[in-house]
Amino acid sequence: MSDDPNDPQTDGGTASKPTSEEPQEFEEHPLEWDESANNNKAPGERKSVSQPAEKFDDRKLVTGQAKYTADYEERFPDLAHAAVVRSEVPHGRVTAIDTTEAEELDGVYAVLTPWSDDVPDAKYTSAGQSYPEPSPWDMNVLNEHVRYIGDPIAAVAAEDATTAAAAVDTIEVEYEEYDHVVDPEEAFDEDAPQLFADDEVENKIVGHDYDRNRMSNIEGEIGDVDAALERENAHVHETEWETIRQSHAQIEKHTSLAYTDEDDRKVLITSTQVPNHTRRQLAHLFDIPIRDIRVKKPRVGGGFGGKQAMVVEPIPLALSLATDRPVMYEASRDEEFYAMRSRHPMKVRARTAVTDDGTIEAIALYALSNTGAYGSHGMTVAGNVGSKPMPLYSKVPNARFEADIVHTNTPQTGAMRGYGAPQGTLALEGHLDEVARDLDLDPIEFRRQHYMEVGDLDEIAGMMGGEGAERRIRSCGLDECIERGKEAIGWDDLEQPSEPHRHRGIGMALSAQGTGVAGDELGAAQIMMNEDGSFHLQVGGVDIGTGADTAFIQIASEVLGCDEDDIIVKSSDTDNTPFDYGAYASSTTYISGMAVKKAAEDAKERILEWASRMLDEPAENLETRDGEVYSEESGEAVTLEDVGYESVYGHDDREHILGKGTHSTEESPPPFAAQFVDVTVDEQTGEFEVNKLVVAVDCGVAINPGMAEGQVEGANHMSFEMAVSEGITVDEQGRAEVSDFDEYGLPSATETPPIESILIETHEPTGPFGAKSVAEVPTNTVPPALSNAIREAVDVRINEMPVTAEKVKTALDEK
Amino acid sequence: MEIELTINDESTTVAVESDDDLATVLRRNGYKGVKCGCDSGVCGASKVFVDGEVKMACGVDARNVDGAEIETIEALGTQDDLHPIQEAFVDHFAVQCGFCIPGMIIEAKSLLANNPDPTEAEVRQAIDDNLCRCTGYQKPVEAILDAADRMHGDRSVAADGGSRIDSRGTDDTGHDGDSDE
Repeated sequence: MSDDPNDPQTDGGTASKPTSEEPQEFEEHPLEWDESANNNKAPGERKSVSQPAEKFDDRKLVTGQAKYTADYEERFPDLAHAAVVRSEVPHGRVTAIDTTEAEELDGVYAVLTPWSDDVPDAKYTSAGQSYPEPSPWDMNVLNEHVRYIGDPIAAVAAEDATTAAAAVDTIEVEYEEYDHVVDPEEAFDEDAPQLFADDEVENKIVGHDYDRNRMSNIEGEIGDVDAALERENAHVHETEWETIRQSHAQIEKHTSLAYTDEDDRKVLITSTQVPNHTRRQLAHLFDIPIRDIRVKKPRVGGGFGGKQAMVVEPIPLALSLATDRPVMYEASRDEEFYAMRSRHPMKVRARTAVTDDGTIEAIALYALSNTGAYGSHGMTVAGNVGSKPMPLYSKVPNARFEADIVHTNTPQTGAMRGYGAPQGTLALEGHLDEVARDLDLDPIEFRRQHYMEVGDLDEIAGMMGGEGAERRIRSCGLDECIERGKEAIGWDDLEQPSEPHRHRGIGMALSAQGTGVAGDELGAAQIMMNEDGSFHLQVGGVDIGTGADTAFIQIASEVLGCDEDDIIVKSSDTDNTPFDYGAYASSTTYISGMAVKKAAEDAKERILEWASRMLDEPAENLETRDGEVYSEESGEAVTLEDVGYESVYGHDDREHILGKGTHSTEESPPPFAAQFVDVTVDEQTGEFEVNKLVVAVDCGVAINPGMAEGQVEGANHMSFEMAVSEGITVDEQGRAEVSDFDEYGLPSATETPPIESILIETHEPTGPFGAKSVAEVPTNTVPPALSNAIREAVDVRINEMPVTAEKVKTALDEK
Repeated sequence: MEIELTINDESTTVAVESDDDLATVLRRNGYKGVKCGCDSGVCGASKVFVDGEVKMACGVDARNVDGAEIETIEALGTQDDLHPIQEAFVDHFAVQCGFCIPGMIIEAKSLLANNPDPTEAEVRQAIDDNLCRCTGYQKPVEAILDAADRMHGDRSVAADGGSRIDSRGTDDTGHDGDSDE
């Protein structure tokens, strides 16, 4: 991997394609993939993989016994609680902070300001990404120069949360106020208030221009888009789309507990998706050796990208150092909306050149992304606006993507499930639907003419990522996704309501994602065998509620031929588990799961070796199954328990059977989704009702179909929210106008239509047992499919999310 | 001050600060199954029974429940012996991060006690203030419908992809509406 953070290859990032690049040789992306053993078991032969194994922590979760970060507090009798003073002005410089009254309050242990000794003054990014982070280092733990209402200024540790909050209320901050800017288009103007002086940012990103509040500009092209757009017989279509500032709204708030352990090491028990990145970032920030920091992830109450960031951890650590006691910081729900992270709101313009017969000659997207006050995940999210959805139409010969990422004095953005793909998918799938209608083409056949199929060399995926991001498509279930989805939604036999002013329509949209970041991932695992034939699986992969730990168990038990209960999983503790990049980019099952598979195969090789001696049969005759090693030849068998005891207590060459596996790859195969939305619209009022969502997903082999369906349904709910809820709106000061769930409008059970998830099984040869990813691709598709459904029902187009009755009515009135 | 509570059938005296809500008091006394997701009594994660009624514990002033009987998620099944509702949630993969699930199960228990044979719409209505970010509610709804059947023996009602096969009329269990089993 390059050491240059501006290298487009880091974290799926983007920049112009090197012009000197030689054309890719076919051999670099062979269709045939050398599959390792056990990869391609037929469904009937699988014992654990693709079976509905019980989620291993479910019994703890449903009985209230599972431990999340906040539940650890009782283990620390001297625990202090933290609270944070946050900027009340959108832009300015802190000139004075009066902490006198706070420090005198009973039960207050420490008050920190930007000038305190225990507060690091290093610059950093909160984005939890690979190293060096492809996000600018533009923030401090506590800020003197504040850039949005919510920027942290001071922090308090006190004997309980109430005292900490009371102390915060007494702290007075004086500011020198600066002009501010909220609108991203205005921010881009040369006369706009400037958020960053050039020397206030380290690790700057490609295309930065802080005079214009631009943290990055990226572009990439294959072929010649302009030539195609200018061709005489081309129909050129242009549409524009706008998306919301969506909140992760995970129910467990950002929570982090820091202390120094008996070995003088700094320990963070924290609700995170990225333990290893957090450890490295804390080491950088506090100038502590990486080895002296331990990051441990308990059960996590949802992340969705909001915890793919070091959002709160530095504060309890600084306070813990200052007070010499354990400190816990739990963000309030209000802070979740105005001071944690959100999806980047964007405007995306789509253009195509299409010939009379409906052939797309060129496709171009341009995104203006509002990254808010800081640049966390700004460039890489914007890159994925193009590089995730556009490759779906890999047969289009000319393609271009460009994005500007600008700062405004608004709350911080970050990673969020889908990671740019929802914004791009809305623009692309809404646009293509519009083009099909203009040209009177069937919207599905129009898409089918251009979308990926097995064997395609997908050059669009490499358009901005240089070599390595290009890929060969080795599994694709799009046709079946569409057919099964059409059937489930009733595409061909739609009944209209009896009232003449109500109209029903179905809209559809397709989506592709990636599986991990091509060339920028690492997962590792170890397995050790106990003498009773059970195994300890240590894996860096991060389960944030998705069931990843269970998938790891299933993968290991499939290889080892043992029961799932015989595998004890230990995950995500930087002291006790191998390295992992963390839970993001749809990588967990594919990358960490492959590491688990390799570790299990490594252990199995040793097991067969021992059984070979015990049974006096060559290892190649042996196989594992149902807790035994058996020989088809002789019919003889020994149990795994026999092997376990013999290996550590036997008299010859004793050995503790240990397996290890590390996985890193240039591949990032796309999963696919076909979305269908059934809507009824009242043309008198504009009110609409979503009757049903159907989403069919090709995720390769689902390691656990029940869990995979759950991922699809949850992702689709999040996508539905993006289509119908306002998200976090901000006022003229850039202040978040949302402080609780009621104001946010997270769709409740009665507000959510039934979601039918359909898994289409294909076999991805680069993935463990044929798996690719499932958790992100259904996050992308409801906004365009709903917009398309409303167009179908009442012939108006809504291209600004959320779709509301008011917008539909206005569009109907203007028709 | 101190108040008397009966928590999961055990009488106890607990210390209460002036601004404590019931969720804080229960968590402080070890009932960590009570979760806090919102600070304001809207997300449903802190639901418990207070004198038989479901309340969001984070919205209840602890000083106002002196003498009350409280039931938390800890009073339902154990990991080895799950309550049928818990069992249904596990079997239907209705649990992802699990943070909202104890509150949702408490609400489901209340629903099924009062309405042992709910429709899908009634289930959705019952959990309308149990916010969940992981599941899209689909599998929890299916699990609660299935739990209704599990709690009432041999009726062949099944949850199937959200569309329920209603076999009312074959109900011969003679239940009396008390599903607290």
